[in-house]
Amino acid sequence: MTAIKLIIADDHELFRNGLAELLRKHDDIKIVKSVADGLELMELVNTQFEADIVLLDITMPNRDGFAVLKELKALNSNIKPIVISMHDDGNYIAKCAKMGAYGYLLKNTDESELIVAIRSVAIGKKYFSAEISEKMINFMSEQSISENILSNKETEVLGLIAKGLTTKEIAAKLFVSSRTIETHRANILKKLEVKNTAELIKKAAKMNLV
Amino acid sequence: MHIKTLILIIINSLIALVIALLSFSSYQQFSNVLNDRILLQLNSIKTLKQNQIEHLLKSEWERFEASDWQNQKTDPSLLQLPDSIKNSTGIYDLTPYHVAKKTTIAFISHSKRGTIIKILDYNKIRNILLERTGMGASGESYLVGEDFRMRSQSRFYPNKIPYTITVKTKGVNNAFKSFNGRGVFKDYRGIDVYSVYSLIKVYNLKLVILSEMDVDEVTVPLQELKERLIGLTIAIFLLAVMLSLFLIRIITNPIKNMQKSLRIMAEGDYNQTNEFIKNSSEIMEMFDALANLKASLQGAVKFSDDIGKMNLNTDFKPKSSNDLLGKSLLAMRDKLIEFRNKEENTRIQSKRMLVNGLENERRRLARELHDGVGPYLTSLKHYIENRVENEVKKSEMKKIVDDTISEIRLMSNALMPASIDDFGIGVTLTNFIENLKKSTTVTIEYEDLTRQEGSNITNQQAIHLFRICQELINNSLKHANAKNIRITLSEFDNFISLFYFDDGIGFDINSIKLGSGITNIKERVEICNGTITIHSTPENSSFEIELPIEL
Repeated sequence: MTAIKLIIADDHELFRNGLAELLRKHDDIKIVKSVADGLELMELVNTQFEADIVLLDITMPNRDGFAVLKELKALNSNIKPIVISMHDDGNYIAKCAKMGAYGYLLKNTDESELIVAIRSVAIGKKYFSAEISEKMINFMSEQSISENILSNKETEVLGLIAKGLTTKEIAAKLFVSSRTIETHRANILKKLEVKNTAELIKKAAKMNLV
Repeated sequence: MHIKTLILIIINSLIALVIALLSFSSYQQFSNVLNDRILLQLNSIKTLKQNQIEHLLKSEWERFEASDWQNQKTDPSLLQLPDSIKNSTGIYDLTPYHVAKKTTIAFISHSKRGTIIKILDYNKIRNILLERTGMGASGESYLVGEDFRMRSQSRFYPNKIPYTITVKTKGVNNAFKSFNGRGVFKDYRGIDVYSVYSLIKVYNLKLVILSEMDVDEVTVPLQELKERLIGLTIAIFLLAVMLSLFLIRIITNPIKNMQKSLRIMAEGDYNQTNEFIKNSSEIMEMFDALANLKASLQGAVKFSDDIGKMNLNTDFKPKSSNDLLGKSLLAMRDKLIEFRNKEENTRIQSKRMLVNGLENERRRLARELHDGVGPYLTSLKHYIENRVENEVKKSEMKKIVDDTISEIRLMSNALMPASIDDFGIGVTLTNFIENLKKSTTVTIEYEDLTRQEGSNITNQQAIHLFRICQELINNSLKHANAKNIRITLSEFDNFISLFYFDDGIGFDINSIKLGSGITNIKERVEICNGTITIHSTPENSSFEIELPIEL
C-alpha cells in the first residue's frame, strides 16, 4: 500500500509544522509539500505535482480556500481537497461542500478524526463528521431558495392577495412593513408580466401558483 | 418748534392779515364815500348861497339904478373914500375904507350931478349866509375879500370884526385864481375843514364864498366805525385763535399719537396695540401704513426669531420687491439652511467615519483572534497530541484548548463575524440566530430574503444591519421579556427592508433613555441615509428600517 501523498496549505507556519509532526507518526500518510497560500498551491497544482489530498485552509492571503476549490474543480484535478478551517458556521461548511470539498474539518479537530477523514477521502469517500453535517443541514434548511419563478415569500404574498387581504393585513400577518408587501406585490406583477391585481389572479390561477 | 405752535402761528397770522386788510379797505371805502358826500353837500349849499348872493347883488343894483337917486343918501362920515372910487360907477367893496372896518358893500353911481353911494344892507347877506340847513354843528359859509380878509361875520368869533380876520387859505387862493373846487385843509382858525369854494364876481366886485365844515365833526361816525372795526377785529381774532386751538388739537392729536407709536417702534417694540382716533382719510391712511409697517416688522421679527431658533422651515414672503429687510432675512435663512445641511453632512460623515473606524478595529481584532490566536491554539493542541504521553493529562489539556478555541470563536463572532465579509448579512444573521437559539428559550424566527447571488447590500450596510439586529435582539431578551421575535430582512431593487417584531412589554418611544440601544440604532440608520419607524405597545413592538440600495 502506497502512502497517501498530502499537501498542507495554510498561512500559519506553526500550524503547518504542528500538523506535520502530528501526521508523521502515521506511516500511511506522507506530507509531500507544505505551502503558505492559495497562489503557491495552484502554481504547484499546475506543474502536475502528484498528490492525493490537500488539507486546505479557507482564510489565506493571495488566494483563499474558496478560490482554490473553484479552480481545482475547474481543472478537474485529481487532488482531493479537505477543508481545514477555524470557521464552524454552517454556511462555510455548506459552501465548501457545494464547491467540491471532500471533507470539512475544524482546525482543532482531534488527531483521530483527522486521520479518519484523510483515510476516508483517500479511498474516494467524502467525510463530514456528524457535528459538521448537522451544522450544514441546519443552515441549508434555513435557506429559502426557490426554483420557481416566484420566491417563496412572493408565493406566500400572492396567496394572501388571492384570498382578498389588503396590503396592510398581509403586512400584519407576515410581520413586515406595508411598503415591503407593496414592493413584493410590484415585483410579482413584474415577474408575471401583468398590470393589475385582477390580471394577476387570473394568470396565477392559470399557472397553478395559487 | 412744535407742529401745534407752527400751525397756530400760520393760521392766526393769516386770519389777522385778512381781517386787517378787510377792515382797512372797508374803512377806506367808507371814508372816501363820506368825503364825497360831505363835499357834495357843502358844494350844493355853497352854490345855492352863491346864486342867492349874486341874485341879491344884481337885483339890488338894478333897483339902485332905477331908483330915485335923490333919496339915496348915505352918511358920508362913515366912509373915507378915495376919489378914484368916488368918481366911478359900480359895486364896490368899501370895507377897507369904513371907519369901523364894518363890512360895507356899496353901489356907486357917478354922474355930472354928483356921486351917489348906496350901501347894501349887510343883514341881507348875513341872512343868506346864516342859513345853515344841512351844515351840522360846525358848518359855516363866509365871504372873503380880495385882500384875504373876511367880509362876513365868523360864527366862531361873533365879537370880532370880520375885517380883522385874515383868511389866506388854499381855497381862497384857488378861488381868486378862478379855480372853483373842493378840498380838505386848514381854515383861518387852523382847524381841518371840508371846504368848497368859488368866486363871486358881479361887475367889478370880487368876493370868494366858502362853505366849510369841521373834519372832526364829519369824521365822528368814521371814528365810531374805526373803533367798531377794531373791536370786531379783536373779537374775530380771539375767536379765530380759540377755534384754531381747538382745530389744531383735532389735527395734531393723531400726529402726536403716531409720533408716540413711532417712538415706541423705534425702541424696537412692535407689539404695541394702541387704538387711535383717526379723523381724516389721510390720517387713516397714515395709520394704515403704520399698521402695515408694524405688521411687516412684526413678521420680520417673528421670522428672524424663528431663524434664530433654527426653525429654518419657516417661510416668509417679502412685502414687495423693495423689501430689503425681508430679502436679506430670506438670504440669511437660505445661508443658514446651507450651513446646517453642511454641518449635518459633516456630522454624519464624521459619525460614519467614527463608526467605520470602530467597526474596522473590531474586524481587525476579530480576525486577529480568529485567524491569529486560533491557529496558535491549534498548534498548541498539536503539540499536546504529539508530546504529552500521559493520556489523561493529554485529553484534559486538549479539552482546555478546545474550550479556549470555542471561546475565541464566540468572541470573534461577537466582535465581527467573518461571514459578513465572506457571505453577506443574510447568511451572517442566519448563523447568528442559529447560535443564539442554543442559549435561549425565546422563539426567534428569521426570514432571509436577501439575494444569495449578486446582492447589492454594501459591506458597511451589512455591518450596520448586523449591529442593529444585535442591539434589537439584545433589548428584546434583556429588557422586554419577549417570548417571540420575528425578523425579516428583504432586499429589493432599490431598498433594503428590516422588519423586527417582538411581543415583549414594550417601551415609551419618547421617554426611552438616551443611553439605550435605540439611540445607537437611530444613529446607524442615519449614517446609512435610511429611515426608521418605531411602534411600541405591550406585546407588540416593531421596528421598520429601510436603507437605500446604493449603486
